[in-house]
Amino acid sequence: MKKAITLFLCLLGYGVVFAQVPTRINIKGTAIDSSNSVMPFATVMLLTPKDSTLVNFGRTDEKGAFEFRNVKNIGYLLKISSVGYLPLQQDVKPSDKAINDLGNLKLKPIAQELMEVVIRTAKAPLSIKGDTIEYNAASFKVPPGSTVEDLLRKLPGVQIDQEGNIKAQGQDVKKVTVDGKQFFGTDPKLATKNLPAEAITKIQVFNDKTEQSKVTGIDDGKKEKTMNLELKESFKKGGFGKVTVAGGTDQRGEFKGNYNKFDSKQQFAFIGNLNNTNQGGISWDDYQDFKGSSAFNWGDDADFGFSSGRRFIYFGEEDEGVSISPSGGGNRNRGFSTNGSAGLNYNYDTKKTKFTSSYYYNQSRTVLDSYAFRKTFLQNNESFDTRDSSNRVNFSGNHRVNLRFQKELDSLNTLIVISNSRFTDANNSYGSTQNYLRNSLLSSTTDIDNNGAKNSFGTVNSAIYRHKFKKKGRSFALSAGYNMNQADANARQISLNNFYNSTTVNEAIKNIRQLNNTNSITNQYKASALFVEPLSKKFFLETFYNTSLQISTVNRNVDSIFVKDEKETYGVVNELSRAYNNEIRYNRIGTSLRYSYKGLNLAGGLAWQHYLLKGEFINNKLTQAKGIVSRNFSAFAPNVSLNYDLKNNRYLYSEYNVSIQEPSVRDLQPIVDNSNPRYISEGNPNLLPQVTNSVSFGFNKFDPATFINLYTGFSYDTYKNQVIYNQTIDENLITRTKPVNITGGWSTGPYFGFGFPLKKTKATMNLNGNMFFSKNLTYINSVLNNTNNDNYNISMRLDLTPSDVFTFYGSASFGISNTKYSINTAQNQQVFNNNFGGEMNVKFPKGIYFNTKFNYRVYKNDRFGFDQKIPLMNMSVYKIVGKAQKAEIRFTAYDIFKRNLGVTQSASQNYVSQEQIQTLSRYFMLSFTYNMRGVKAQMRKRNSWD
Amino acid sequence: MKKYQFIYSIIFSLITLPIFAQKDEGIISFERVVHYPKIIARLPYLSQEEKDRVKLTWGSDDEWKEKMKLAFSPNKSLYTYLNEQGESEDGTWAWRNDDLIITRDFEKEKKTEVIEMLGKTYIVDDSLHTPSWKVMNQIKDVAGYICMKAVTEDTIKKQKITAWFAGDIPVSAGPERYFGLPGAILELDVNDGDVVITATKVEFKKLEKELILPKSKGKKIKDIDYDNLLRNHIKDSIKSQRNPYWAIRY
Repeated sequence: MKKAITLFLCLLGYGVVFAQVPTRINIKGTAIDSSNSVMPFATVMLLTPKDSTLVNFGRTDEKGAFEFRNVKNIGYLLKISSVGYLPLQQDVKPSDKAINDLGNLKLKPIAQELMEVVIRTAKAPLSIKGDTIEYNAASFKVPPGSTVEDLLRKLPGVQIDQEGNIKAQGQDVKKVTVDGKQFFGTDPKLATKNLPAEAITKIQVFNDKTEQSKVTGIDDGKKEKTMNLELKESFKKGGFGKVTVAGGTDQRGEFKGNYNKFDSKQQFAFIGNLNNTNQGGISWDDYQDFKGSSAFNWGDDADFGFSSGRRFIYFGEEDEGVSISPSGGGNRNRGFSTNGSAGLNYNYDTKKTKFTSSYYYNQSRTVLDSYAFRKTFLQNNESFDTRDSSNRVNFSGNHRVNLRFQKELDSLNTLIVISNSRFTDANNSYGSTQNYLRNSLLSSTTDIDNNGAKNSFGTVNSAIYRHKFKKKGRSFALSAGYNMNQADANARQISLNNFYNSTTVNEAIKNIRQLNNTNSITNQYKASALFVEPLSKKFFLETFYNTSLQISTVNRNVDSIFVKDEKETYGVVNELSRAYNNEIRYNRIGTSLRYSYKGLNLAGGLAWQHYLLKGEFINNKLTQAKGIVSRNFSAFAPNVSLNYDLKNNRYLYSEYNVSIQEPSVRDLQPIVDNSNPRYISEGNPNLLPQVTNSVSFGFNKFDPATFINLYTGFSYDTYKNQVIYNQTIDENLITRTKPVNITGGWSTGPYFGFGFPLKKTKATMNLNGNMFFSKNLTYINSVLNNTNNDNYNISMRLDLTPSDVFTFYGSASFGISNTKYSINTAQNQQVFNNNFGGEMNVKFPKGIYFNTKFNYRVYKNDRFGFDQKIPLMNMSVYKIVGKAQKAEIRFTAYDIFKRNLGVTQSASQNYVSQEQIQTLSRYFMLSFTYNMRGVKAQMRKRNSWD
Repeated sequence: MKKYQFIYSIIFSLITLPIFAQKDEGIISFERVVHYPKIIARLPYLSQEEKDRVKLTWGSDDEWKEKMKLAFSPNKSLYTYLNEQGESEDGTWAWRNDDLIITRDFEKEKKTEVIEMLGKTYIVDDSLHTPSWKVMNQIKDVAGYICMKAVTEDTIKKQKITAWFAGDIPVSAGPERYFGLPGAILELDVNDGDVVITATKVEFKKLEKELILPKSKGKKIKDIDYDNLLRNHIKDSIKSQRNPYWAIRY
């Protein structure tokens, strides 16, 4: 039908000659080049003159002719383009004839030089705007540090003489502008000689009116060659900083500041922090701002082994670790701490070479005043109670230097070198009054007054070399490592023990006054190799080998302190002084077959592990009596893993794994530690490695359309040669522990989570549950005790985000823990830990915000009538000030009810305990923040995945 | 409709020399590079501080690359992944790709698109709706072809689209969901470099199976449904302060 009308209109246009303007016409023409030859197969486009919208297009025939038939009779912009020619643009006016013949249209060729150099070689886009030619300077490679002048020398059509005068297309350039503005006066050389080439993104050359004609407004017809340099607005460039100062009642104060500067290749950061409000550690955000591109590194684990298909980021251990590790910001409810830290970080970051270096110092002084109650169960349904009031002051200062270098040597070879070190200076004091009760009668008391100081140095170094072969999928990797830990500790231990049941004075009062010095050094040398061979497109064989040698030397001297006429003299205690040497040789070889196809990763393999443990120690410094331990241990460790992407955001994973863990150096040391004279521990050089058999399974699903998420899973572990701590408790209620191996313990933990919107974008509900069941074995006075733990935790969270001015987050969690003791069934325990919380944010006019957090913690143990309820309420009001919204003034009230107390209660092994620690309570604080990038109110809790 | 009344197809398709006939059928290989920090920097609910943090942390490892292919003939095109599965560079790790097959039939003015998004596979079956292109005054070389610049806008995702098309390859095909220019699109830039899809190789050959849509299962919808799904998802996600682009193709 439409075609018929078109045809009719066409015929109308052809057949009848009207005086009036036709509504539809044909536009035709012929494209020719500068030598008047016709141009076949050129692209011809009809655009709207207003905004160049494409209306119609076609092509010229072999005679260079084109024709648009039956197009609306309106104004067009006709555009013809052909390779090697400047696109021709011509206005087409509405026509009063049915056929508008534009005749011959001449296209100008693009200069050979521009074509070859700019377009073909430099792959730079070329823009032609009337007589302006513009090309992208970024495409012309000049060495770093070059000026714009050096860059201009590379550009076709531009000449520069010895004085730096510029000629473009044969004419002198009279004026150089930067972003359209005159740059430092009128000398064009000033800009080109001083600006770095890296700062420029585009160079335009055009004819501009003379300055005189601009001033007078009269076009004198004269034009001068002008060059405009467009500055790069780099995405990856900037500098920013933030500082917060705060002061409050009870002499509370906080200072926090950071500054960052970065461009596309380099990152520099400074961070500083000082407070007495229990905020130790470094938060995730601060960690990321500080470390920048080196915050997370893949593939830093030099100990090659089974690969399960999931990738992990390798982090060092927390406190004692050698690298900086982020934490939630410390537990604010444990004592009183004063914290300070400062650090510098520098990253050089390109695709091929990455280098990072950082220095970070942090120190923390914590005062802990606690009251603890503990009931310990013995065989024959006996038990005893301990009441302990203690005061601890711990100080620790850590210097950390972290270095990392990664280089892609070429497309097949990569090298990573990591070196992290830590130096720590720590001291502590511990005072305690302990009362021991048997059948509610005081049986003994102990007073302790200990002081100690420790210096330690630790370093972890590794180098990883990876090589890819030409054959796709074949690769090998080699690694070598050297770790060292050295510590020098001194302690002065004084304690006074009274045993009321004793018959003789000698037994009734036991005093300990000693000095001890422990010097230890551990060296570890490691090497690993990995070879991957593709068997087919989907199957890969991975073979690895690890070896390590760890040598520890410990020297411990214990002296008794004798006081006479207020003068101290010392004498060696031979029974407690030890010298000790330990060597662990470790070898593992394994192989696994992996299948990987379309999201299904399946692997199965076997490793053989061998340990040779050798120890040599001098028991008694006087007699130099030597003990020698030598043990061989080997085992097969299988591994099976499954990772399956089930489509539509559903994932399934499962793993069976046998892991073998060598005993810790501390547990192997045959050293008697009597720093708490009522709890004396001793190491055991006969320990064997612990073997853990683990099975785990998990499933998760997320529906991005409905925002419903679900996860569930479980893990089950059984232990062979588990390292446990045997207890011997004598009639004076002195506990002696020693680690031994035992088989038969297990633990399992099923969990689930379910989150769904009640009303999309406004209300979300989250339910989580986890359970934990375990069987722990210990010998108590040579009787095997079997402790069964059943823990149930269920929590729910409701997020209400109805508008931009009000948000509310409510949560409740319930925890029940049942503990059963086989040696003392009458003492089975049930402990409750419940928590209810609410957070509210309100936005008021004039940039004023209000935030309040309420937390109600309930700790209960009915057997002891223990029922501790702690309501904690914080409030803050803040106002974002200034035109640029860069500053914030905040008033905070912390723990309004003055009820904060650190409480922990637990039941395990053969005891149940409660501990209460005095901690930060009510204070008011006024703070000021300045953020160079602007302050944003936190009305919402952040989603963790962005 | 009249946009597809190519003059050349009326006048020349029967009489052109074989050398030109060969140049309108074949396969273009593309590399699609996604810059996540740039996409995250566009999320309106994040503060400048949070955006800078993302930028700093990703550092120079800010690109995600995948290989795509476009099979084309004067009348048809099919765009999908180059390989049947996603693979790590050394080929030892493989993952599943979201379903994505985009076909065009310029002759019948029809299209079928198999797109997995929002946790589901959809089949968009509709007539062709050509984007409104503006042709600009710039030329550059992509994969050895001189291309002209054209721009348009995605009104749903609020994206600025820049396409570079080669007049020498006289077909209207293009990567992703874009088409309708006087030559094949060899480079597509979404929102000033957030995502850049660049041709790496152009191969002319007679196609057989490459243009046939394999059997696919999914929920059948029209363009208007597709637009509504995206519009609502983006609106809800931004309101819930979630990044909408983890669940849809940018």
